Formats: sequence, C-alpha cells, structure tokens
Amino acid sequence: MQACYKTIVCVGWSRKSLPSLRSSRFRICAVQAQPETVQKVCDIVRKQLALPPESELTPDTKFSALGADSLDTVEIVMGLEEEFGITVEEDGSQNISTVQEAADLIEKLVQDKTAPS
Amino acid sequence: MSASSSATPSAAQVRSLFRSLQRVARNFPDYNIREYVKRRTVDAFRENATLSDPSSISSAFSHGESQLALLKRQALVYSLYTPSLRSVMELQQPPF
Repeated sequence: MQACYKTIVCVGWSRKSLPSLRSSRFRICAVQAQPETVQKVCDIVRKQLALPPESELTPDTKFSALGADSLDTVEIVMGLEEEFGITVEEDGSQNISTVQEAADLIEKLVQDKTAPS
Repeated sequence: MSASSSATPSAAQVRSLFRSLQRVARNFPDYNIREYVKRRTVDAFRENATLSDPSSISSAFSHGESQLALLKRQALVYSLYTPSLRSVMELQQPPF
C-alpha cells in the first residue's frame, strides 16, 4: 500500500508567507539585516513607545515620526543591547533613526562578536 | 567624560549619563534593584526633560553623576553578598 502524501516545500518561501504587515519590500543588495532581526527590533520599538498593535511600522519609519524623543531612542537602543547581547558605542547610537538602521547595526555587531578576526 | 559642573552639560553628555546609569543597573545581582534603577532613571530624566535654566540643568546633571558613582560602589558591594536564591521574576518558567 502506498500512501501518497504531499510534502510541503517551505524552505525558500518562508519569507513570503510571513504576514508582512510591516516589511513591504527588501532591497536585497543594500540590506544585510534578516527579517527576524527586523521583527524583533519592531517589537521592542512597539513596546517602548507603547504603540497600538494596528499602527503602521515599516523598517523605514523614523522613530521621531512615531513620537519618540532622544530619550526614547536611547532607551530603545538599551533595550536592543539587552535583547541581542551586544554593546553599542556612543557614536553608533547617534545615527540610529529608523528600524532598518538599528537592525543593520545589530547584525554587524553580532557578526563582529561571533567572528572576531 | 569631563565632569565640569560649572559649564552646562550638552545633550550628548546627558544621553551618555543616561546610558551609563542604565548600564550600571545590569551589574546588580538583585532583580529588584536592577528594575528600580532602570525605572528611576527613566522617571528622573523625563521629569527633568523640560528644564531650561542652565544652573538647574547642571545641578541635576551633577546629582545624576553622584548617583552614578554611588551605584557603581553599591554594585560592587552587592555582588560580594549575592544570595543564592534568585527572584521569582527571573525564572524562565513560572513554578505554577
């Protein structure tokens, strides 16, 4: 008896099947941050700024547009440091103004940490 | 970081003080103290965010710096006498 069952190939399609409320389009050549990182950053930003769940949060949204002042930005950076176990320097945190920039910086620091050369 | 209490601290110095205070909170083994330090710094900085008088700004800043020095000392002392039991808030799985 042969049972024919369908195997669902979801290896390369996992990115597409995520409910992309936030990330519309990735410029693959320029972006190096992974979607999970961006997702985590979005969650932390939402929690910090107490945004309602249905509010729009794309990777390019500026924190100031969401009503965050500089203190909120520093708090967000500290939250990201704790979440990912990294240390952001003084000048690194000055340039972060969008979710995408934060995710890119996190990716770079995580890579530097795991593969010091 | 130059601690000049006579000159008004810049925004970058204030942010740096905020970050230092948040960072020193991590050195405490006690969960309650960690959370309190984080809460208290956020509340204090928000409360003083609208200060415009330079003398009050610099006095608040120097107060923050003295608190930072205090926290550093106390983190050392607390780490010498760490209790073996962790706070229940730190458990990954709730016991019930």
